Amino acid sequence: MSRLHRFLRTPEAVAGTILLAMLFAMALSASLLFPGDPQAIAGPALLPPFQNWSLPLGTDRLGRDVLAELFHGARTSLAVGLAAAAAALVVGAVVGTLAGFAGGLVDEVLMRITDAFQTVPGFLLALAFVSVVGPSLGVVVVAIALGTWTGPARIARAEVLSIRERDYVAGARVIGMHPLAIAFREVLPNALPPVLALSSVIVAAAILTEAALSFLGLGDPNRVTWGGMIAEGRTVLRTAPFLSIVPGIALVLTVLGVYLAGEGIVETTAVRRGLS
Amino acid sequence: MSGFTISRRTMLTGSAMLLATTAMPTLGWAQTPKKGGRLVLAADSEPRNLNPAIVASNGVFFISSKIVETLAEASFDGKDGLAPRLALSWEGAADGLSATFKLRDGVKWHDGKPFTSADVAFSALQIWKPLQNLGRTVFKDLSAVDTPDDLTAVFKFAKPTPFQLIRNALPALSSVVPKHIYEVGKIEDNPANNAPIGTGPFKFGEYKAGQYYRLTKNTDYWGKDEPYLDEIIYQVLPDRTSAAAALEAEEIQLAAFSAVPLADLDRISKVPGLKVITKGYEGLTYQLVVEINHRRKELADVKVRQAIAHAIDKDFVVKTVFLGYAATATGPVPKNDPQFYTADVPTYAFDVAKANALLDEAGYRKGADGNRFSLKLLPAPYFNETKQFGDYLRQALAAVGIDAQLVNNDSAAHIKAVYTDHAFDLAVGPPVFRGDPAISTTILVQSGIPDGVPFSNQGGYKNDALDALITKASETLDTSARTDLYKEFQRQVAADLPLINVAEWSFISVASDKVGNIANNPRWAVSNWADTYLAG
Repeated sequence: MSRLHRFLRTPEAVAGTILLAMLFAMALSASLLFPGDPQAIAGPALLPPFQNWSLPLGTDRLGRDVLAELFHGARTSLAVGLAAAAAALVVGAVVGTLAGFAGGLVDEVLMRITDAFQTVPGFLLALAFVSVVGPSLGVVVVAIALGTWTGPARIARAEVLSIRERDYVAGARVIGMHPLAIAFREVLPNALPPVLALSSVIVAAAILTEAALSFLGLGDPNRVTWGGMIAEGRTVLRTAPFLSIVPGIALVLTVLGVYLAGEGIVETTAVRRGLS
Repeated sequence: MSGFTISRRTMLTGSAMLLATTAMPTLGWAQTPKKGGRLVLAADSEPRNLNPAIVASNGVFFISSKIVETLAEASFDGKDGLAPRLALSWEGAADGLSATFKLRDGVKWHDGKPFTSADVAFSALQIWKPLQNLGRTVFKDLSAVDTPDDLTAVFKFAKPTPFQLIRNALPALSSVVPKHIYEVGKIEDNPANNAPIGTGPFKFGEYKAGQYYRLTKNTDYWGKDEPYLDEIIYQVLPDRTSAAAALEAEEIQLAAFSAVPLADLDRISKVPGLKVITKGYEGLTYQLVVEINHRRKELADVKVRQAIAHAIDKDFVVKTVFLGYAATATGPVPKNDPQFYTADVPTYAFDVAKANALLDEAGYRKGADGNRFSLKLLPAPYFNETKQFGDYLRQALAAVGIDAQLVNNDSAAHIKAVYTDHAFDLAVGPPVFRGDPAISTTILVQSGIPDGVPFSNQGGYKNDALDALITKASETLDTSARTDLYKEFQRQVAADLPLINVAEWSFISVASDKVGNIANNPRWAVSNWADTYLAG
C-alpha cells in the first residue's frame, strides 16, 4: 500500500487536508479575488452578513469588507504559522544535533539554555519580545519561534544521542570526516522524522499565538490578521457579533485542519515504521 | 473579609426592593430628592495620585472632585458660566495685577479643622503654581496671595494677567487642599495624595486596588441637607464591554465617561430602566487632532497639510467612528465654546481631487506604485475612537497617494515616541479644550516648548506671527479684545494648519432611571455630586 493511499484512508487526515487546502486556496486567491487594499472602505459601516451580495459577510465598523479581510487574513495567519514553525524547527534541530553529537560541556551549555527558554511560558516571551522590539510581521515570527524551538531541540538531541552510537557513524569517523559534517550530513537527516512530526503542533500553536498577539494589539497594524479582526469586533460584540465570530470560526477551522492533517501524517509514518 | 462586597443576598434583597418600588405608582418621585442610598458606578482607570491640586486631569477629578472642592464650578446659567463653591465671589483688578476672592464661611475640613484663606494661599503658591500640570502655565506670574482676613484671598500677579483666564481656569485648576496636612514634609509624598482630605460632600473611605474606591458621606458638609447619598462606590471595571452588562444586571447604576461603547448605546437606550445622557460634559470637550511633525520636509509644506485636510471626510468620521456622538471641527476652539468660537475661518471640504491637485502642485507626484511618499502614523491609544480614526486616516491618505504606515504603541510608549523622541510623521491625538485657549490649547502650536511636555507642540512648528499673537493675547486684559485675539488665533491656525482639527466630542453617561440630578452642570461627571440622589 502506498503511503499516500494509507494517508487518505484515515478520515481525520482527509478532513484536515481539505481544510488546509481551502486555507491555502484562500491565501493564494486573496489578491485575485480581492485585488487592492483589503482595508479600503468598501461600503456602509456595520452591514450585517448576507444582506448585500457584493459584501457577502458584511462590513466592519469602518465599512471594510469582512470577506476580503478574511481572505487576506488567511495569508498572514498561514505565513506567520509556517515561517515561525520553520524557524523553530531549523533552530531546534541544529541546537539539538550539536548538543547531542558534541556531548560534554557543549551539551550542558546548550541544554541549560534550552531549559531556560522552556521555563518561560512561550506566549509571555513572545509578548515581551514584541512589545520591546515593536510589532511587525518579521518580529512576530521571531517572537513565536523564540518560544517554540525548545521542543524540537530536545527531541532532536534525544534522537541524535542514539544515532551517534550507530556503526555507520563510527564508520564516518574512521574515514576521517569532519565532526560537523558527520553531525549535519549523516546524523541530522536520520534524526529529523520525529522532529518533523512536531511541526503540525507548532504551526497550529504559532497561528494561535499570532492571533492572540494581534488580539492584544501587538500584531502588525498594517496587515489584516484574524486576531486583529476579533479584537476590532470585540467592542461591538453585543451589536455586531459576526465581526468576532467570522474570523473566530476561520481560526478554529485552520487550527483544526493543521492539527488533523499533522495527526494523519504521524499516523501514516507510525504505521510504516511498525510494518518495516 | 472586612470591607465592602456585594453579596448575593444583598443583591437579591436589592432586586426585591426594586420590584416592590416599580410596582408602586411612580408618578412624580423623580422630582423630590431622596436622602440616603449607595451609588455604585463604573470606573475604568485607577489613578494612584488622587490629589486634584497636583494632577488636574479628568481621571483624577472623576473621583476626587467629590472630596476636594474648587473655588468655583462650571454652571449652565451662572454669571460667566460659573457657580460658587469655596469662593462666594471673585473680582479682578483693572490693571490685571490682582484678583480678590471672598470665601465661604463655616466650611470645615474632613478632619474638623476650619477652612480659611491660608489654605487657599498655600494651595495656590505651593501646589497650583509650582506642581500642577495646568497651573504651571496659568499661574506662572502669581507672586503672592495676601490674606487680610480668614475669608479673603487676594492673588497678586507679577505681570498683568487677564482675569478672564483666571476665571475660566477656576473649575479645573483651583482645587483647595488643607495647609495643615500638606505643610509637613514633601508635598508630592504626602499620604493625603492617596487618601485625600478636603471640604467636599464626600470623605475618602477606602481603596482596594483592582476592586473599588469607596467614598462616604460628609455629615458636616456646608451645603444645606447635602449630600443626599450615603456612599459612592467606584467599581473598577477596566473592560469597556463589561460596564454595559453590569448596568443591565443592575450591579451598577451609572457608567460615565463613555464607559459603555458608542456602538452599544443604541441597544442600551431601549433597555427599560436605563437612560442615555449626552449632557453634562460641555466643559470637557475633547478634540480629535492630527498632529504633524513639521521636521518632515513634505509636511513642512503648507500645500501638503492642506491636501491632508482635504483628504479627510470629517462627516464620515463623525458618522462612522463616533456614530454621530461628535461634531465636525473647524479649528482649534470647539464649536460648543460660548466665549471664543468663531466659524469665520478657512475650511477644508472633503475633496480628493483637490487634495491630489495640491500634492501635485507641491511637487510630490505619484510614483509607479501610485504612492507619492510614505509616512509614519501613530494613533494615540487612549480611546477606541482615536485608534479607529487612525485606521480611517490610513485609508483616506491612501486615496490621495500617501502611504501611511500605522505604528501602535501603549500609552507610555506613545507619549515618549511623540512628545519626547519625535519619532512620528503624523499622530492622532485627543487634546482637551478647557474653557480658555490659554489653558491647554495655544500650547499645541506655540514654539519653544521643551521636549517631553505631553500634549504640546512637539512637531517642531514655528510661526513667529502666531507666537506673537499668543503672547499678545496672554497679556491682553480687556475681555473682548482678548476674545478677538483668540478669534484671530483660530483663523491663523486654520489657515496655516500646524495641526488639523477633525472633530470634537465629549462623553456619554448611561444611568439607571433612579439616579437623579444627573448632568446639571457642564462638568457634571467631575463635579462634587452633592445634590445627586437615588430615587426609589
